[in-house]
Amino acid sequence: MAENRTDEFLERIQGLFRVADAEKLLADPVKEAITELLAASAVRLRAEAASVLVRTADSGDLKFLAATGEVADRIGGLEIPAGKGIAGFVLMSGQPLVVSEPDDESGFYAEVDKTTGFSTKLLLAVPLRFRDDVIGVLEYVNRSSEPLSEPFTPTEMDIAAVYAEAVAALVNAHIGADLMCELSRRIIRDSSEESDVRAWLRSMRENSTHARAIELAALVSELSEKGDAEVELCRTLLESLIGYSSSTTGRLDLA
Amino acid sequence: MTHPIDPTSQDAASNFLPDPEWLSATGRGVTVAMIDSGVDATHPDLSGRIAEEVGARIEGKKVTFSPVYDGDLAGHGTACAGIITQLAPEAKVASIRVLGASGSGDAQVFLAGLEYAVKQRYKIINLSLGTTKPQFFAPLHDLLDRAYQAGCIVIAAANNLPQPSFPSIFSSSLISVVKSEEPDPLKFRFHYGEVIELTAPGVSVRTPWVGGGYRTLTGNSFACPHITGLLARLVERHPELTPFQAKSALYAIARSNSTENG
Repeated sequence: MAENRTDEFLERIQGLFRVADAEKLLADPVKEAITELLAASAVRLRAEAASVLVRTADSGDLKFLAATGEVADRIGGLEIPAGKGIAGFVLMSGQPLVVSEPDDESGFYAEVDKTTGFSTKLLLAVPLRFRDDVIGVLEYVNRSSEPLSEPFTPTEMDIAAVYAEAVAALVNAHIGADLMCELSRRIIRDSSEESDVRAWLRSMRENSTHARAIELAALVSELSEKGDAEVELCRTLLESLIGYSSSTTGRLDLA
Repeated sequence: MTHPIDPTSQDAASNFLPDPEWLSATGRGVTVAMIDSGVDATHPDLSGRIAEEVGARIEGKKVTFSPVYDGDLAGHGTACAGIITQLAPEAKVASIRVLGASGSGDAQVFLAGLEYAVKQRYKIINLSLGTTKPQFFAPLHDLLDRAYQAGCIVIAAANNLPQPSFPSIFSSSLISVVKSEEPDPLKFRFHYGEVIELTAPGVSVRTPWVGGGYRTLTGNSFACPHITGLLARLVERHPELTPFQAKSALYAIARSNSTENG
């Protein structure tokens, strides 16, 4: 019985993903929003380029998620091994840093510079924090206008930290969107490979955060099928709950 | 109304000022532990100044430390060691590398590095790292208390981002430092009314960098080793200095700096 319901659920979800391009629908808009924010903040900070590096879940390596500037296309997907370089240090220490170098030396971001042909002379790196974790690093590189050798200032570090809060929230949204895209890819790749999808669903269920989110989503979806009054009641309840939780520092204790 | 520790009020702080002899000290006989990204011991500024170089290794769930020979993975440790030895040219630095051992469990490795330094009884420990993960609050607090009781003076870089970072917000068991634009390391100040206690140079500081060159750096990470270097001088003159005495002495100096310069 339970198996039949899972099969039916799978068929429905396959149908949904066949018509919807998850990447275009979910991940791309978030990435575009990040890039827009990078571009706007780079102008404000008089930086030639800006980029976002995100920590990969398993290894702790950093991967470029989005970038602006002339090497933006070449930088996408490039990885920095865990704990290496300024970005690795900022990720681990949670400390924002400004580094600049004398003109007579070669770029210090050697590995990335070699791949992109870019020369990093000035760098402002700020941790991306979401809840209690550092999930990535926001970087601004070089100056866009004269004086080109003027190091980033402490005030600009503070401004970058404010942008980092917004970028971190978007990066978190992108991580969520990426999960949905991964599900979509697995389902569309070959609908006969149900075991693959089941294994993925199982791994999602085993992760308690995801499991709770999926449970909630299923409940809301079931309620929304009942009728407008139920939807309205559900929304009011959820909104009041969120309002209550935000207004108190602690969490609800219903035990 | 006057606050009891208002730095502008007349109190007895000047009486706590240490013997000015420390100003001419060089950190001879003092080894400073630095928990960081490693160090480039071949840099001309650091040659002969590195007492020990160990790095974290992860074996199962345990973190162990053993000698490493591949230097500095990020450049940060070399810069901090350079600041320490600029201020205390005869002090030695023990580099405890906590970066690059693993991607996950970074805070765990950092905690193990601090524990290693305390176990080795290093008198002065420089921490330019921190963590924001609440689950490390209690273990770090406990470890810092043990460090304090063991007589280790721990100096931590403050985090001036909106979120608190541990251990720099622990106020009793360590000294926390935030960057200022003042270029003179001897003119560090008392940070009145904040959890963070001292301000030291941390803006556009010229430091050694991996590979023999120099960089100009800005961040609280670089304010912290300034105080560490000065403490190495104080400890040379007063080898039995306790963390409590170190704090009192730094406070008195910072206060007299603040009064002198308005």
